[in-house]
Amino acid sequence: MTFMNGASHRCDGVTRRDMLRAGGLAALGFGLFDRLGARAALAGQGGASARGFGTAKSCILLWLDGGPSHLETFDPKPAAPSEVRGPFAPIATSVPGVQICELLPKTAGLAHEIAIIRSMTSPLGEHGIANAYLLTGYKPSPVLEYPSYGAVVAHVRDGPRVLPPYVAIPEFRATAGAGFLGAAARPFATGGDPAKADFRVRDLDFYPGTGAARVERRRAFLSQLDRFQQSVEGSPPVADPEFEQAYRLVTSPKAKQAFDLSDEEAKVRARYGPRTLGQSCLLARRLVERGVPFVNVVNNGWDTHEQLVLRLRDGYSGAQVGVGLIPTFDLAFAALVGDLKERGLLDETLVIAMGEFGRTPKLNTNGGRDHWPRVFSVVLAGGGVRGGQVIGASDRDGEGPHERPVTPADLATTIYTLLGVDPDRELHTADGRPVPVNQGGKLIQELLV
Amino acid sequence: MSAASFLVAASLLVAVALDSPTAAAPAAAPATGPAPPHFDTEIVPVLTRAGCNAGACHGAAKGRGGFRLSLLGGDAAADYAAIVQEREGRRINLAWPEASLVLAKPTGLLDHGGDVPLDADGAGAKRLVDWIAAGAPRGPPRRLTQFEVNPPAAVVLHAGATLPLRAIARFDNGPAQDVTAWTVITAADPSALAIDASSHRATVLRRGQHTAIARFLDRVVPLSVTLPLADEPVDHASQPRAGFVDDEILATLTTLRLPVSPPADDRAFFRRVWLDLAGRLPPLNELATFLADPASDKRARAIDRLLASDAFVEYWTLRLGRLLRAASLPGDATGVEIYRRWLADQIAGGVSFDEVARQLLTATGDSHRVGPANFVRTATDARDHAELVGHVFLGSRIQCANCHNHPLDRWTQDDYHGLAAVFARLERGRVVTVAARGAVTNLRTAEPAVPRIPGNRDLDPNADNRAAFAAWLTAAENPYFARATVNRLWQALFGRGLVEPADDLRATNPATHPELLDRLAADFVASGFDLRHTLRQLANSETYRRSATALPANAVDDRFYSRAYARPVEPEVAADMIADVTGVADQFAQQPPGTRAVALFDPHAPAPALDVLGRCSRVSSCDGGTAVGGLPAKLHLLNGELVNGKIAAADGRLHRLVDAGASDEAIIAEFYVRALVRGPSEAERKFWQDAAAAAVAQPDEAATRARAQFLEDFVWSLLNSREFRMNR
Repeated sequence: MTFMNGASHRCDGVTRRDMLRAGGLAALGFGLFDRLGARAALAGQGGASARGFGTAKSCILLWLDGGPSHLETFDPKPAAPSEVRGPFAPIATSVPGVQICELLPKTAGLAHEIAIIRSMTSPLGEHGIANAYLLTGYKPSPVLEYPSYGAVVAHVRDGPRVLPPYVAIPEFRATAGAGFLGAAARPFATGGDPAKADFRVRDLDFYPGTGAARVERRRAFLSQLDRFQQSVEGSPPVADPEFEQAYRLVTSPKAKQAFDLSDEEAKVRARYGPRTLGQSCLLARRLVERGVPFVNVVNNGWDTHEQLVLRLRDGYSGAQVGVGLIPTFDLAFAALVGDLKERGLLDETLVIAMGEFGRTPKLNTNGGRDHWPRVFSVVLAGGGVRGGQVIGASDRDGEGPHERPVTPADLATTIYTLLGVDPDRELHTADGRPVPVNQGGKLIQELLV
Repeated sequence: MSAASFLVAASLLVAVALDSPTAAAPAAAPATGPAPPHFDTEIVPVLTRAGCNAGACHGAAKGRGGFRLSLLGGDAAADYAAIVQEREGRRINLAWPEASLVLAKPTGLLDHGGDVPLDADGAGAKRLVDWIAAGAPRGPPRRLTQFEVNPPAAVVLHAGATLPLRAIARFDNGPAQDVTAWTVITAADPSALAIDASSHRATVLRRGQHTAIARFLDRVVPLSVTLPLADEPVDHASQPRAGFVDDEILATLTTLRLPVSPPADDRAFFRRVWLDLAGRLPPLNELATFLADPASDKRARAIDRLLASDAFVEYWTLRLGRLLRAASLPGDATGVEIYRRWLADQIAGGVSFDEVARQLLTATGDSHRVGPANFVRTATDARDHAELVGHVFLGSRIQCANCHNHPLDRWTQDDYHGLAAVFARLERGRVVTVAARGAVTNLRTAEPAVPRIPGNRDLDPNADNRAAFAAWLTAAENPYFARATVNRLWQALFGRGLVEPADDLRATNPATHPELLDRLAADFVASGFDLRHTLRQLANSETYRRSATALPANAVDDRFYSRAYARPVEPEVAADMIADVTGVADQFAQQPPGTRAVALFDPHAPAPALDVLGRCSRVSSCDGGTAVGGLPAKLHLLNGELVNGKIAAADGRLHRLVDAGASDEAIIAEFYVRALVRGPSEAERKFWQDAAAAAVAQPDEAATRARAQFLEDFVWSLLNSREFRMNR
């Protein structure tokens, strides 16, 4: 449905003609949803509203599973008492006046490319429901599984492609799945460890003893069998687009090459760092380069209830050079943003790094921090995001939003808008219930270029 | 806009600017003259008709623009307060009714976010004016006692035919009144049946049986209009009939002028009935015996044998478990196993389904010892429990009534929260107990909900009401339980329910065959709620025995049963079929060898094969629907272990046959009969012969390998073919 200023609106933003076209139960007012929020937001000036929706072609979501500490990453509190301040110091960035954690030196050098939201806020502090909220933009419901961003993008971007539209590296959280959109929108998980020399994508290589010629023959046999059957049934041929996509993928050397990291020069591989997150980001870059619209890179271990120094910086006890979560992230994230920029892909690729919540401002007795959804940080770059800015702020000790609170639903609407997906667009559950892509989110207008 | 309207608008703006209350508490209606419009029964329908109280406008839970009406007029008292009393009565202007906000906004005199839904010169606006002019009275209590739309069912004989619709209401059992103008009639598919809102005429746009629903106040009634699918009548008088199922099906087919496909042959019937009742392919010895049997009642005897088999118990335990959303809880695999054994015992022992329901609804005790106590643990809380009960036993989506009265069904918020209150005292730990207290809040009243049998009566707030609810549910005259159950049995055997979706039985979602559903339900009750009785009844019908092969004239039919419908087999059944045909059993983690996939009652039991094939996660009940497919699944079928490993296994059926020196023709024939329960056709035989020759056009030992590879590819394509994966 399109919005037309001046046309006869119903109060829900649906024109009368749309109403007639939608027909059926719509006339009973069943299933029409509140569009006012997003519509009002889009009526703002400039940015996405001028173009309607954003034009990012792809999105790479770095999912920092477990909930990264905002205080040790993008929202340091050097002036806070020591039990809040934590073990690390802030450093300056390429944007005057903006400081981030000292463990992020490479990212600090690229601060002019990224936007930091320091006032994310959510009421959900348990992993399962919190990552559902952050990955779908909906608070989880016991009666309906909502689709994740990647699933929605896979669902609305049409046209046959050889590469799958939604790829998870190496695995995905159940809440990053297809929800009610069903199997066709489910992410394709590579499996394996991209940092390993023998990394192979699950089920992409021919089964031992078979090969392209035999797969081709099997496809021919199968289509002949189905033709025999159809001639008996008297029904028209039924296409199986998913089988055809699988066939095109496994028989296309070019498509398979997209997953082959040995294709990259050694110095490029080194730039991303030798660990799983870095090589996953490199693989994500290869995929968006080849037109994959959504890649979810999953990085585990951010649920740091204890030993922040060991987990976040060192990686193992006695490390001379830190290889913990944050240095690994810094290397990978800065390489990804920098590499995309140099290749001219950053403007059309939205990069997001986030987890499901932040951590308690006060250190606990184990030298760690516990779950803290009241305020946390998310960073975005490229894809129509205006870099070099900080949106919102937490209060003095990082306990709550000080200004411009942003909800996960707001973030969702913004992500969809940047990716050119109308947040009001209606999706349908298997039993036909209409559900909008996003509900209740307000566009973060200042985030947009 | 007329000059007069301008005047009204201008003066109204003045009134608003002065910010003076324009209406005091309304005076009583004048004692003389015609009675003013009655708020509850004559004004509310105007608002509904104009869409004011729709869910997207002022009927939203939070209202709109500060003005909230009850959804579709479900709460007239609240609506009266909102219009007449809120904001110091500023929404009506007794001195100048036309200037009332409640009129000026929807007629477009004042800016209104929701368009101009009410014609300023129309009858709706006039009624509002008359009502306000009369002092905007609520009026005496007046109850709608009857509502019908005529004709409720009609047949027309050409596209473009129109027929007038007339809605009749009686209040307090008084005289019939024509309320057509205030009734909202909506076609299920407006591209098939157009309803003109001003002339109240239905126009049939294409062939088929089309439905519409008519809403007036709290009543909704369905109506159907049929345009036969062919110009020439068909005569089904001489079609064989096994009972009322065939009578009803053939009657509808006669109206629709749909010819029937011939009976399925013995092989097709046998494959179908095995898959439906036993969840597996027929073994070759059973097939041979059946084919060789010359007796005319052999199909009926085959059905009886299957209904008495262990395979039936195993498969239907899975089916019922899926319906009940049975699944292990985190860290507790014992409860679900106890649940499975109990359910299997009920099915094996032929326990009547009303008794099964009563046990599920009233069980308490240790869920590691008392099977049905696990039903309580499936639900996370009382509301979830009520929704599960609605889904399973009422075939109804009562959850819609959580936040507002169900807009398409009879359920109210009081029904929903009242049913939840029945289960509010249950403690849902490993040991299920009934606590001394426990309540749910009725969102409408913000008070503890009064326990209630939905749509029926309130219960004692101080009692454990589960037995009372179970007794009501399983009574012979209960309109939901038997219907919901037989509809699911029908769905299991015919691939779709008489009502679809099977958990959405309501007046506004009519069955394709309403009389048949009634008769099946009555028959089920009369049999003592015997699942096997109804399954036998259905499987023995001529309707069930029809071929899935379409005739040119019935290819379009997808719901009237002029032929059988092919449907995908479920993931558990598909996994077992692959294992049986290839002769390589699955070994599931933590399960004894020989465990079949259909015996994996717990959906969380590790089973990669089922994940690939897409099993139901049971987060919500999967009524037949499963998440089959997806690119990863197809990739796995192409390159993964599930099928490839079984085909290539040295001790699997294919390589054993090759090693034993079987001919291509023998191997192909054996796989055909095991997988498809038929031999290859002449054309298929020729095709495989040529393909084999092409594959082995090499000398010596290379030929041996090439032949084995050809046969592997043949089996692979067979196991991935549409015919194999379908039950038809």
